[in-house]
Amino acid sequence: MSGSGMTGGPVFQLSEYLISKKSFLQWTDSLMEGFTIIGPAWDGRQTVFREVGSSAELTLNYVTTMLAPGKLHIYRPKEKLFRFSLSGRQEIGELPAFNGKQIIVGVHPCDTNAILYLDRTFLGEFKDPFYEARRNNTIIISLNCTDVAPDCFCRSMGTGPFLNADSGFDMLLTDFGDDFLVEVKTERVNRLFNVSGARRAGNEEFALKAAKEKSALLKFTKTIDIAGLDSLLRDNPEHPVWGQTSDERCLSCSNCVMVCPTCFCYDVVDEISMDMKTAVRHRQLDACQDRKFAEVHGGNFRARRAARLRQFVTHKLDHTRQYGVFGTVGCGRCITWCPTGIDLTEIAKEIQRTKR
Amino acid sequence: MKKPRLGFFKYSCCAGCEFQTFYFQKHLMETLSSFEIVFARMISSGGTPEGPFDIALVEGAITEAWQADELKKIRKRSAVLFAIGACAVNGGIPAIKANRPEIEVEENVYGDLSAIHSIRPHPVDAYVPVDGHIRGCPPGERDLYEALTSALFRKKPDFLRQSVCIECKLKGNVCVLVTFRMPCMGPVTNAGCGALCPSYNRACYSCFGAMKQANAPALARRFRTLGMSGDDIARKFTMFDADSIEFRKAAELYED
Amino acid sequence: MNALKPSKAAIKNITHETGDVRTYEFYVGDALSADPAPGQFNMIGCPGVGEAPVSFSGLLKDGSIRHTIKAVGMVTDFIGRMETGDEVFLRGPYGRGWPLEQARGMDLLLGAGGVGLAPLRPVIEKIVRERDAFGRVLLLYGARDERRLLFLKEYEAWQDFLSLHITVDELAAGAASKYSTGLITTLLDRTELNAERTVAFICGPEIMMRLFCRGLLLKGANASRLYVLLERRMRCGIAQCGHCQHGGLFVCRDGPVFSYNEVSGFADGLL
Repeated sequence: MSGSGMTGGPVFQLSEYLISKKSFLQWTDSLMEGFTIIGPAWDGRQTVFREVGSSAELTLNYVTTMLAPGKLHIYRPKEKLFRFSLSGRQEIGELPAFNGKQIIVGVHPCDTNAILYLDRTFLGEFKDPFYEARRNNTIIISLNCTDVAPDCFCRSMGTGPFLNADSGFDMLLTDFGDDFLVEVKTERVNRLFNVSGARRAGNEEFALKAAKEKSALLKFTKTIDIAGLDSLLRDNPEHPVWGQTSDERCLSCSNCVMVCPTCFCYDVVDEISMDMKTAVRHRQLDACQDRKFAEVHGGNFRARRAARLRQFVTHKLDHTRQYGVFGTVGCGRCITWCPTGIDLTEIAKEIQRTKR
Repeated sequence: MKKPRLGFFKYSCCAGCEFQTFYFQKHLMETLSSFEIVFARMISSGGTPEGPFDIALVEGAITEAWQADELKKIRKRSAVLFAIGACAVNGGIPAIKANRPEIEVEENVYGDLSAIHSIRPHPVDAYVPVDGHIRGCPPGERDLYEALTSALFRKKPDFLRQSVCIECKLKGNVCVLVTFRMPCMGPVTNAGCGALCPSYNRACYSCFGAMKQANAPALARRFRTLGMSGDDIARKFTMFDADSIEFRKAAELYED
Repeated sequence: MNALKPSKAAIKNITHETGDVRTYEFYVGDALSADPAPGQFNMIGCPGVGEAPVSFSGLLKDGSIRHTIKAVGMVTDFIGRMETGDEVFLRGPYGRGWPLEQARGMDLLLGAGGVGLAPLRPVIEKIVRERDAFGRVLLLYGARDERRLLFLKEYEAWQDFLSLHITVDELAAGAASKYSTGLITTLLDRTELNAERTVAFICGPEIMMRLFCRGLLLKGANASRLYVLLERRMRCGIAQCGHCQHGGLFVCRDGPVFSYNEVSGFADGLL
C-alpha cells in the first residue's frame, strides 16, 4: 500500500520500546482524559470494537470481531449529512463533522489495511468531510496477530498476520507474552508516549518479532493463489461456479457485504418529519447483494442472484484496476458470517481448477 | 393545507395493524393530527367507507368473495392504497390454510357449512394494484412512517426491500444462525422490523414475509443440516407467507 | 467542503415534450462547480425525496441549464409535478462527457434512442455553434412511436446543420407517418458512412447501443471511436457510493461516456 498523503503523519519509524502489558494499559488509561478510547471488548455476546471506560475492559487477545473497527468508528454505518428546513423557503444546513479525538487500540493488520483501503474511496479525488474528520482525529494503534482464525487468509493477500504497511497508522504492538513490543510510527503518538519503565528495543527484540511472525505464518489453513487471479476472473464471467453457488447456497442476505471491512457502498436516504417542517439526508451502508442495488428505470443490471454474488466476489478478487490493489484484506469475515458458508477462496480455486 | 383523508379497512385479520397505527406506534400523535380520519372502525364507529380517500390502508387477507368486491371499490375511491400488515401483504396467518383444499379447512372448524363462504386466502395485491406494502406483524414502524409521510408529502414511498440481516448487522447483533445455530429466517425475510428478534437472541420467524427473489430452498437445506425435521422446516416457511412463490419452493422440499 | 452538498436552483421554464417527459430550464447562477460539458450530468434532488442523476440536455446559457426528465422514479416523479418557480437542489457537473475534441475534423454520427436524444442535444448545440469544426454530421433517431419523439420543434433548425433521419418502431393502426418505420438499426443499415473517418456518439437503451455499435463495427468503424453513454443507479456522483460500479470502473466518474472498447464484454452489461 502506498501511503502518500495519508492520514497519520509522515512515514517513518520513530522509536521502539519493550514495555510490560500492565504499563501499556496504564498508559491507555492515562489517555482517557483527552481521548475516547475504543478497543476490543466483550459486550455480553461477542467481542466488539467499542468505547471502553477503563483499559480493564480491553480484550487485546481477541482473535477476530464480526464488524471491523474502521467501518464502525471511522467510516460510520450511518451518518447524517444535511438538515433541510422545509417551511417557507427551503434551506439546506450542514451538519458538523466529528470534532472529538479518539484512539482505536488493537487493530489487527487486516483491519488496518482495510482502513487504508477505505482511504482510497473517501480521501481520493473527492474528500468526504465526515470520514476525513474522523480519520484525522483517530489514533490507530495496530496489533500484530500471533493467533490465526480458521477463515483468515491475510497471509496470501500480503496484508497480515504482521503489519507491513508504511503509513496510515500510529503505533504497532506485538505480543511478547508479558510485554508488548511497541513501535511508534508517528510524531503525534510519540508526543503522547511517555511511559516509565519503557525499555528501548533492539536487535534481540526484532529477531524475536521475526520469529513470532514466522510461527504465525505457519498457522494458516486457508490460502488463495492471487497470481493472475484478477484477469482469470475477468475472463470467466460465465463460469458455472457462479450459477451453482447462487442456486444452491447464496441467500442474497448481504451478510458478506455488511461484515466486509472494505465494502464501502452507501445509500443516501432522506427522512421527513411528520410535520413536514424538516428533512434529514443521511447515508448508510448499502449492499450489492440487495436486489435494488443496480436497478434503474426499466431494468436491473444485476437482476440475477448469480450476478450479484459475482459482483461481490470480483470486487474483492478482480477489480484491481479500481485502486491498484485487491479489494480483500483476507480477514475471512464474509466466510465466517455467511449463513451457508460460501467461501470466496473456494470459488477462486474452482475457477482456477476448471478455467476455460 | 387541507389534511389528507385517510381510510382504514379491515378484512380477515386481528385488527392489530389498525391498533398499531392509531394506538401504539411512535408517531401516533402526529398521525392523528396530520390526517383527517374518515373511516377507521377501531377508533370510532360511523364514518363513511364511500370516500374519496387520499390514502387508504387495507389490513387483512382476502378470504371471502365479498371482501374482494369491496376492496375493488375502495381502490377506485382512493388516490393511494397501501396493503398493511402480514395478512394484507403476504396472506399472513390466514394463509396457513393456503395449501389445503378449502372444504377440508372448513370442515375442520365448522359443523354446519351452509353459511360458510370462504375462499382460498390471498394478499390484497392479488385483487387490486397497490402503491406499496407496509410489512410485518405488527407492521414495522419504519415503513409505516414512510407510507404516512409520503402521503403527506405527495411523493412515492421508498419501502425497504432488503433482508433482515442488513438491519441486524447495522445493529451489530451477533448472528444467531451462525453463532448459536438457531434456525433464523432473517436471510430470506424482508427487512423493516429493525431485526427485532435477533436483537434479543431469538431467531427471526419471518413475520415480514419473503424478501422478493429470496433463495428460500437454500436456507431450508441449511436448516436441515442444523438437525431440524422436515415438518418443522415446512412450518417455518408456511407460517406467515405460505402464499409466496419464494417460500412455497422451500416448503415443497419438506412437505409430505 | 462537502461534495455532496447541493445548491438551490429555481425552475425558470418547463416545456412538455411527450407524455411523462418534460424539459426544465433551471437557473443555477454560479452554483455549478464548472461549465457543464455535453454528456456530463447533475445530481438533482428534492429535500425529503432524494436525488437522481440527470444528463444535461443543453449548454449553460445566461446562468441557466437544461435537463430533460422522464418522470419514472421517486425523485423524477416528484419533479414531474413541480411548476415554474419551484426549487430543486442540485450539484455537479459530474463525469466525463462526449469527446468532442476527438470528433473535430471527422464525420460525426449521432445515434439516439428514445429519451437518449437528451444527452446528445448539447452536442447538437455545439455543432450549430461551430459547424465548420466537423465533417459530415448525421443524426439517426429512433423512438417507439411518434408520440415519444423529443424536441419536435427544433428539428427544422437542426437540419440546416446536420442530416436528420428519424424512425419509429411502430405506427398506430392505419396511420401514415412522415417518418420511416422499423428499428434504428435498419436505419443505420441504409445509411452510407465513411467508416474510416467517422466518430459516433450513441445514447439510448443499452440493448439499442449494443446493436447500433455492432452495426457500425460491421460497416468497418473503429471500436475506439464509438462512444456510448451508460446509465446506472447512482447515489453520490463522486465515485464513493459504489452503485454505478461496472467492472471496477465508476460510471459516474470514469464515464458516463465510454468508448465501446472500454466497456464491451463486461459482465453485467450488454455491450
